[in-house]
Amino acid sequence: MKKSSLFFTLILALLLGLLVSRGLAQAPPIREQLVYSLNVFDGKTYTSGFCPRGEDTIYIIANENNAITARTTLVYFWPITARYMAGFKTLNEEVEGTLELLRDGKVIASLEKEDNVVFYPEGYFAENSKMYLHEEAHAFLQKYEDATKEYYVRIDEYYEETREYREAFEEFLESIGERREAGEELSRTQVEAQMPKQPSPPEGVRFYTTPVSKQYILDLPQGTYQIRLRARDGTIAQDSQKNLVAFVRRRGGTIGYEITPGNRWTMKENSNDPSRTIYASGRNTLYLRPFLQDEYNDFYYNKLLDPQNVGTSERWIWVHTTPIKNALLDLLSKGKLLEKIERAPYYVKQIPGPELGYEILEYKEEEFPERSPSFEGHKLEVSSVSGRGKYDFRLEKGEGEVMEGSEREILFVRKEDTNLLHIISIFPLIVGVVVFIQRKRRAS
Amino acid sequence: MRSRFSLAPHTARVLVRRDFLSALKGWGLYVAAFVSLLASSFILRSHLGAIKENNILISSDPLNYPLFISLVVISFYLAIISVISISREKDQGTLEVLFYGPVNCSSYLAAKYIKDMLLYLVMVCFFFVYFGAVSGFTNLAFSWSLVKAIFLSIFLVSCIVSFGLFISSLTSRMRTSIIWLVGILLVFLAVQIFHTMLINLEEEALSSSLLYLRKTLEMVSHGIGWISPFSYLNRGMQSIAIGSTLLYGMSILYSLVYSFVLLVFSVLILEAKGVRG
Repeated sequence: MKKSSLFFTLILALLLGLLVSRGLAQAPPIREQLVYSLNVFDGKTYTSGFCPRGEDTIYIIANENNAITARTTLVYFWPITARYMAGFKTLNEEVEGTLELLRDGKVIASLEKEDNVVFYPEGYFAENSKMYLHEEAHAFLQKYEDATKEYYVRIDEYYEETREYREAFEEFLESIGERREAGEELSRTQVEAQMPKQPSPPEGVRFYTTPVSKQYILDLPQGTYQIRLRARDGTIAQDSQKNLVAFVRRRGGTIGYEITPGNRWTMKENSNDPSRTIYASGRNTLYLRPFLQDEYNDFYYNKLLDPQNVGTSERWIWVHTTPIKNALLDLLSKGKLLEKIERAPYYVKQIPGPELGYEILEYKEEEFPERSPSFEGHKLEVSSVSGRGKYDFRLEKGEGEVMEGSEREILFVRKEDTNLLHIISIFPLIVGVVVFIQRKRRAS
Repeated sequence: MRSRFSLAPHTARVLVRRDFLSALKGWGLYVAAFVSLLASSFILRSHLGAIKENNILISSDPLNYPLFISLVVISFYLAIISVISISREKDQGTLEVLFYGPVNCSSYLAAKYIKDMLLYLVMVCFFFVYFGAVSGFTNLAFSWSLVKAIFLSIFLVSCIVSFGLFISSLTSRMRTSIIWLVGILLVFLAVQIFHTMLINLEEEALSSSLLYLRKTLEMVSHGIGWISPFSYLNRGMQSIAIGSTLLYGMSILYSLVYSFVLLVFSVLILEAKGVRG
């Protein structure tokens, strides 16, 4: 027992030590560091981040343009998230030099900074973007600037037309008043027909191009490399040596869905694998957004998004890449087609009041002037009664051609029998009682 | 070596039969099964509540997590019965009497191991009945992955049983065995917690002594990952969640190697310490 007591005292001391160590928290120290600022392709768009000194490897998708620069900034450790944070707003100095790319210890390329832009064809907040280099970069920026200039010209014209419209409208009201005073009877239709037409505002520039920036561009085949920065004086910049992993997708082109429940706009779920069943309860409105998707290694992909992330190298994850827009969604129950659902735009309207929430309404331009739809998707209304507990859906392209891998199953869980779960768990005790009774009988 | 590890099949069979029937006639297994399934029921109710609250749940294996909870509970039960199985017989003196007969250490330990595994197979039957009924009542799918998880659990539980027998072979008192088991598991837990806390502190901010402690705990923690039978359980269930066939196969292989090594050590220790140990 003495040994055991000693053993437990040690454990107690260890746990107390833990508690004391937590009490030593203080403001995090800030250090100047050379970091790599990243703008990397994540399969659909460009993600910004940085690689601090503590991380020795940068991960990128192979055969795509990825931009990096070496910068001196202030780095501090944030204990709540256990991550290093960069204070680029306080210090953000670019480290000049040549980026050397090595493979098996040999320099295979010396890279200089290149002009680049990121082009967002459907706007900054849309899903996809592409990086353009050199002349193309300047051309895309010029295209955006021209479109913006043209937009401002149209805006000026619109303001002028609006001013003219207001004047005309006032004149029109005066003339209508005078005619009515003169005894003329005018119907509502007649008044509306003579009313000046209000000008509509010009449509904004839908696409976006970032300003031209100069960065080292890494467009590499799959493999493991090393990078380092050779400063202008010929020396290797301290802490600039990193490993670089360029990886590819394992599979691609299959179909995944982003599912938004009608009553929880902010809580989106992904259904990326046909083997994963969608469980629902009661009456449901679901908004489905189909995507083409690529499969990446979980560890590599998480490290690509942020070199400080963790991941599991044995796990593979699906990444939604391109939205599928020209397809119909077939809703089936017991193999029987119930409905073909078209993709439609929806607007998420905030509902004021004590229960702050959202309402998802079908978007109509006349009902929501000067507003864009919040999202586009297929609206699916299902209930446990009409579908008898099970539905299937799939995507149909063109002439009834079902898109492979788009099939999913919706099962409705039965909540009314949940109390039975506790009763089922008693059955081992019943078996025990039966064994006990039999034993008693044999003994007697 | 040949005689040391030679099994007397008839003797082992008799011992297994005696111990297994004795355990079946007791209440321990049924109460442990009830508690483990009750724990699953609470998890399942919470799952179903979440589906109602959030409208949807997307999962291929909704019953795997409740199974994992049941497994943890039943593993503790099996760890305790295996840890006291040898020390109790030493304590009561029955082991000495037994060894006057045609019983050797390897047959004796093999019998104890097989008995505990048979008890778990009874539990597996309970799992099939319980999860089958749950699936019928709630509409949550009884998936192929659940069957794979239950199959894998046999190997993972084998690690826990052999770990319990190993500790039991080291001790000669029942109470000491339980204290050792609880103590070792608490040390494993304390190391993991302390290591996690140190990892969450900035490396540059740590004093050199804490830095060494962190490195040491990192190694110890890594080692515990291969010593603690509950780590095998955790890794095995993760392989199911990830859906990796390689990890699944490796889990089975590691569990077999772990169980074999611990059983061999148990035989050697039991022989070295003798029946009065």
